[in-house]
Amino acid sequence: MNPIVPAVLGPLAAAVAIPLLRRAPAAPALLGAIVALAAGGALAVGIAHGTRAELLLPGLPGLPLRLIATPLTALLSLVVAGVGTLVLIYAVGYMKGDPERVRFFATMSFFIAAMQALVLAGDWISLLAAWELIGLSSYLLIGFWHARPGVGAAALRAFLYTRSADLGLYTAAFLFIAHTGTGVLPSAPLSGPAATLAGLLLLLAAMGKSAQTPLQDWLQRAMAGPTPVSALLHSATLVAAGAILLIRAEPLLTPGARLAVGVVGGVTTVVAGLIALGERDLKRLLAASTSSQYGLMLVAVGAGAPLAALLHLIAHAAIKSSLFLGAGVFQHARGGTGFARLRGAGRAHPRVFLGFTVAGLALAGVPPLSGFFTKDAVIAAALAGRHAPLLAPLALAGTLLTGAYVARALRLLWRGAGEEHRVPGLGWMGAGFAGLAVAAAGLGAAVGPIAAWAGGPLPVASGAGVFGLAAAFAGLALGWFVPGARLLGPLRRAAEGGFALAGGLDFWVARPALALARGCDRLEQALYAGVLGIGRLGLTLARSVRRGDERGIDGLIFALARGARTLGSRARALQTGLVHRELALAAAGAAVLLAALAVGLAGFR
Amino acid sequence: MPIVTVTLFTPLLGALLVLSGGLHSARRAHGIGIATTAVTLLGALAMWARGVGPSGFSQVEQFAWIPSIGAAYRVGVDGISLPLVLLTALLFLLAAVYSARIRERAPAYVILMLLLETASIGTFTALDGLLFYVFFEVSLVSMYFMIAGWGHEDRQRAALMFFLYTLLGSLPLLLAILGLYLGSSPHTFDMRVWIAHPPLSGTAATLALIAMLVTFAVKIPIFPVHTWLPAAHVEAPTAGSVILAGVMLKFGTYGLVRFALQMTPEAFRAAGVVILILGVVSALYGAFAALAQTDLKRLVAYTSVNHMGYVVVAVAVAALASGPAVRALALDGAVLQMVSHGLVTGALFLLVGMIQDRAHTRETAAFGGLLQVVPGLGWAFVLAAFASLGLPGLAHFPAEFQIFLATLRVSPPAVVVVIGIVVTAALYLRAIGRTFFGELPARWAAMADLNLREWLAVAPLLVLTVVVGVAPFWVLDVIHTTTAWLHL
Repeated sequence: MNPIVPAVLGPLAAAVAIPLLRRAPAAPALLGAIVALAAGGALAVGIAHGTRAELLLPGLPGLPLRLIATPLTALLSLVVAGVGTLVLIYAVGYMKGDPERVRFFATMSFFIAAMQALVLAGDWISLLAAWELIGLSSYLLIGFWHARPGVGAAALRAFLYTRSADLGLYTAAFLFIAHTGTGVLPSAPLSGPAATLAGLLLLLAAMGKSAQTPLQDWLQRAMAGPTPVSALLHSATLVAAGAILLIRAEPLLTPGARLAVGVVGGVTTVVAGLIALGERDLKRLLAASTSSQYGLMLVAVGAGAPLAALLHLIAHAAIKSSLFLGAGVFQHARGGTGFARLRGAGRAHPRVFLGFTVAGLALAGVPPLSGFFTKDAVIAAALAGRHAPLLAPLALAGTLLTGAYVARALRLLWRGAGEEHRVPGLGWMGAGFAGLAVAAAGLGAAVGPIAAWAGGPLPVASGAGVFGLAAAFAGLALGWFVPGARLLGPLRRAAEGGFALAGGLDFWVARPALALARGCDRLEQALYAGVLGIGRLGLTLARSVRRGDERGIDGLIFALARGARTLGSRARALQTGLVHRELALAAAGAAVLLAALAVGLAGFR
Repeated sequence: MPIVTVTLFTPLLGALLVLSGGLHSARRAHGIGIATTAVTLLGALAMWARGVGPSGFSQVEQFAWIPSIGAAYRVGVDGISLPLVLLTALLFLLAAVYSARIRERAPAYVILMLLLETASIGTFTALDGLLFYVFFEVSLVSMYFMIAGWGHEDRQRAALMFFLYTLLGSLPLLLAILGLYLGSSPHTFDMRVWIAHPPLSGTAATLALIAMLVTFAVKIPIFPVHTWLPAAHVEAPTAGSVILAGVMLKFGTYGLVRFALQMTPEAFRAAGVVILILGVVSALYGAFAALAQTDLKRLVAYTSVNHMGYVVVAVAVAALASGPAVRALALDGAVLQMVSHGLVTGALFLLVGMIQDRAHTRETAAFGGLLQVVPGLGWAFVLAAFASLGLPGLAHFPAEFQIFLATLRVSPPAVVVVIGIVVTAALYLRAIGRTFFGELPARWAAMADLNLREWLAVAPLLVLTVVVGVAPFWVLDVIHTTTAWLHL
């Protein structure tokens, strides 16, 4: 069998089976994810042996759906399934006792299936469809505890932000299909201004999903869902989709579009890093950090090194999911993730803290952990790329800020003490967490092989390692020894407000849209009243006409009535009350009808 | 066997059957109603199984009616009308199932519905101009009585407004039909002749087009002659709304393709940009007007203006298209959008009706947290809402994708209409958030979830919404057979 089928169908079948079976919902979910993982392995083995699997499905006329296995897509499929499996293992413990487990595991399986379709997509329509379906899955999962206050708003915000940006992908896809005449990916590059436009539209789409400035706000608020959802959403699925899109589309970007990608990424990595530094909630800090790290990936794409972005994406997937899973344990232990509650939580759970620290240091870029190698590749790309004077300082600033907020979080978890709760299901949670933490630590060894597999040379630049290490350690030291508020200085207020420009998108987009809607509604009422007015005018007119012609019309009507009465008396003569005569007439009538029908049928062809 | 004719007149036969039993037994009337609409659906499925040929009309059945003036009973289908016939038959069956709880003057209600079904199928299958007009008008009368007799509080006024609006609206069509008749030589009402050799040209064609546009714009409806729609929907009984939105709005877009585009192609092309702008404005206006609504039924009604606006955009794009491939793309999208809208909006109106049956209100502010008590109804609504906002894998996506793609290829600035999908997303998510998420007011704590009858009415639509979304080709193949060969 074509291994692409189980790669998507495994988790999809689980999503269908779970609500039907209803018992032990975690088992089919895990099975589905493992099937997808095995299928991803089979795809990779196939590619190693020189066969690239491809699956064609009927779609629209002339535009079939297509899923393909290339070194890149197979690798991403493995990452998605791998992270998905470990997060699901964790979730078995985390969701213990939740009455809605069936819905949770079904939606998670659907999420993984949609993400598998996204990474394996071989045409624009499949990509777009999967792109929107992961948006749906995120909406359902962020809104999982829908009865709680504020949850609906968070889910709505996540879906609307990403869908608004999705217009970029829609329009870019239309451009590519219209100009190349086919929906196949990878597309042939466009020429002229359309090429830059398409690149910018793809960037817009990626900015929405990867929560890049100024569209970063939704991600921090998307913490309303269960922690495993955040772990998956931030690492290998929803947020990753934006960077994956740009990595895959990098050959299509014009120099101008590339510069825009790099600048957006560079600005985001700094802005989101500052936001993370100003946070007072661990999960929100991690969310801001996600934007910041995806900013680094965009810098690498903008510098023309999608391979560096891919490596950082993979390492970040392991790192960030472990951080969230660790934070989830602390959350259960302390009843929340506000800094005030978490003081000393790490000391109370040393093994979880160890994993959390390893992942955190990997994120900061401390050797020999995975993040060191991948961040090194990103910084090298920025230094060696075309816009080095612009992008390299931003990348280094982002690295510095990463060290600072990581150290701040670690310090908080280590110092002080708080009230502990018993954490149920710790065994499953620990297993999933440990798996991801080990990956976060050790993936650095895979950087070389992965680069060789994806078929590109790693970017090199003299001094990249030194600069990167210096920035990372300086950041760690600053974050540990200097309080965050002092570190931010005059930027503190702006950072805590999420750098929302004059009220943010709510002010610039949502409010005008709602005002426009109300305006339409007012126009609507005016139109309705106008139509009624015309109706009344007509009636008035009719009345006045009647008044004028009262006599003439009345006369006519009376004449008609007289005529009718005369006819009636003639007809009465026919209805003499004798049954046989009426029957005869009825029969004659029926005969006429039948004759008409017969004539009609005779004429039937 | 003349399957088209049998399918067309089965509902009428059922209506006579109900009539013959007197106007007393509700059970008997509903039984006959459901059985008749089910048989009609079988007939439509048989027509579907027979399929359509690549050019012109298939399954044509005809006999002389008024030979002296060239009017005849002519029916048949092509890839544009056949999916609409199937949709009509399905929606009437489901509406009959849903309506089975109506006790008040049930036989009269069933008779009207069956009469309306014959008129609706007749409108889609008629191949004679006069016959088309007769069916078109009969449908109006039946719907008027349905709203006036079984609607909500202010029904008389809404019904009258609906009737006058669409009646005045349809008079110009009669003039256009007469014009086409007089322009053809020898004089005939045969629509196939009108399509093969458009009888009018120059100013006459333009005048005929304007007349047709007035009629169909009211019916579709297009901004600013859409005001009857929300008024009618708000007062109409649930099944009436399902039929009105699911079937009768398609008369307008079907007429736009069948008459305006096919019979006055040159004039249509000349006016294409104007019609395109009308469609874009209508789609965006409908979306924004819907965003301001707090009454669930009005909200769904306004999204109809948005969705039908896309169809108008698609037809205009088809007229402006330079090549047959793009034209087919646009028309595929237009026809599929009509089908999808029937399925999705039908489901939404049913679900809103079910909410109203329970709560006797449709104001979102009165609700909250309903998912906790009626998860079946709630998730069904979420699914239908996401379909309506154009989510991939559900019915509207393939249609809207084709429409937008064709629009970009023919008239790039008009692709701004794509903003509508964000606005519809916003309004549905707001409605879901206010109605189904959050805290549950105590007075709804005892609300009952969907019963078997309600599931029977709504589940087929939801299933088909997914089926059309995932595998649109089973409908598109039929549509494309005709659109690919359409010569304008």
